[in-house]
Amino acid sequence: MRIGRLEIPTGCIVGVIGPNGSGKSTFLRLAGFVEKPTAGEIAYNGKPAAPFSPEVRHKVSLMSQEPFLMKRTVLNNVAYGLRIRNDLDRLEQRVHAALVLVGLDAKEFVKRPSYALSGGEAQRVALAARLILKPEVLLLDEPTASIDALSAQLIKDAALKAQRDWGTTLIIASHDWQWLYGVCDRVVHLVRGRLMGSGRENIIFGPWEPGENGLWSKVLSDGQRILVQKPPEALSAAVIDHAFIVPADQPFLDGETQVRLTGLITRLALEKASGDIVGSVLVANIPFTAALTENQVLENGLYPGRRVHLLYDVNSVRWF
Amino acid sequence: MDFLLQGLLKAIELLTTGDAETFSAVYATLIVSAYSLAVTLIIGLPLGFCLGYFDFTVKKQVRVVVDTLLSLPTVFIGLLVYAFFTNRGPLGEWGLLFTLPGIAVGLTILALPIVIALSATAIESMDRQLRVALISLGANRRQLFLSTLWEARLSILAAALTAYGRVMTEVGIAMMVGGNIKWQTRTITTAIALETNKGEFAMGIALGLVLLLIAFGVNVSVSSLRKRY
Repeated sequence: MRIGRLEIPTGCIVGVIGPNGSGKSTFLRLAGFVEKPTAGEIAYNGKPAAPFSPEVRHKVSLMSQEPFLMKRTVLNNVAYGLRIRNDLDRLEQRVHAALVLVGLDAKEFVKRPSYALSGGEAQRVALAARLILKPEVLLLDEPTASIDALSAQLIKDAALKAQRDWGTTLIIASHDWQWLYGVCDRVVHLVRGRLMGSGRENIIFGPWEPGENGLWSKVLSDGQRILVQKPPEALSAAVIDHAFIVPADQPFLDGETQVRLTGLITRLALEKASGDIVGSVLVANIPFTAALTENQVLENGLYPGRRVHLLYDVNSVRWF
Repeated sequence: MDFLLQGLLKAIELLTTGDAETFSAVYATLIVSAYSLAVTLIIGLPLGFCLGYFDFTVKKQVRVVVDTLLSLPTVFIGLLVYAFFTNRGPLGEWGLLFTLPGIAVGLTILALPIVIALSATAIESMDRQLRVALISLGANRRQLFLSTLWEARLSILAAALTAYGRVMTEVGIAMMVGGNIKWQTRTITTAIALETNKGEFAMGIALGLVLLLIAFGVNVSVSSLRKRY
């Protein structure tokens, strides 16, 4: 993993997106001061910090993708962080409040052993164990993956409430990019352990094979070809920063260096930070994203399920 | 086979009449096994934790050594401890030969690899997410160590019980280092060996049953603790 320089302002919500194995969990463990980077340093409020540093130990909290609950009751799991801080004032009441915050009936759950919880309940108890600490920074690794819709919504609400009420900085890794674009002040894209940018980039992995007119291509499952200039290596990843969406049934002029692919709009999401609409287009089995304005959506009648062309300039493709 | 029944009856008699010689051996057994287990846990648990928790360059080699020490012959330990504690030995001036603390030292050497190996396995088999969760909740290094041990408490309890069973039933070290001195260093196992040599099978069986009763009592207590926590 090579992050370079990344600054996360206090109190903002940052989304981390990327394919499986891109290093999202590693990034969160580093940013959550659970692990030490092999090179470089991570600063907190301007001062370098490391795992167990007093500057971060009680202020930064990470919730992993698979919530780990200790072999104790829900009460003892949620109260653990307060107990090791020797902060025992109104302990049970605070545990009750934290459980209510994540939508669990405190009376029903407080004495239940951790092994008697469902996946969604365990995830919510794990979040309550962190929220009770009112952390300055809360990192959530795939908080809504593999749990039911209700639990997912309750977790999202509780995390956002923490940010609103206490100014907690949220760093969230998720495949639910629609949610991330909707709530995040910034979304970063992590690919092969490197930060790519805003998350709107389309990354196409090789292998590439030589084709006509000096161009190289990747053949998709439906026979369409993604065309690029000669790659540095056959397995390099191509980055298409800007792609455009036009309805497939509207006439348009092909440019000389313009590549046209055909696919279906699968999702439209509002990006909180820019106010843009981000569209996802499935071409064969590869999802592409492209920014749209409200006018483009309205005038062209772009909606999920609509067949569209996706256009990009072959010379604008960069390599990764 | 009559001596088996006689042994059973004798055991009941020895325990119910409060036979002084029997209770002296029981006392010696409990003292040496308790001392050795306490020291073993104090030294062995941190070492087992380190061996199971941390990755270091010679970890595999250390593991092989610890596993090998699991089959250390008790008479060899007895011989070593005797050699160290005898008047001519390097630790002779400590005066531990033919004493209960001397036996406890030998039994500690016997039990240490058991506790280290089994607790290391228990820690190794724990979910790696535990460390992430504890650090994320603000644990410092000491709290991380204690909470990890607490999470592995059932496996560690099993390690302690295994070690306890081993030291309580040990005979070679107790015989060589303790000298089987009546009223002083005679443990249940050395008493059984002596009674068998004398042809007093009933008495030997009676003492064996007493040993079994103690083991049963310990297991029942531990089992109730497991249920509680």
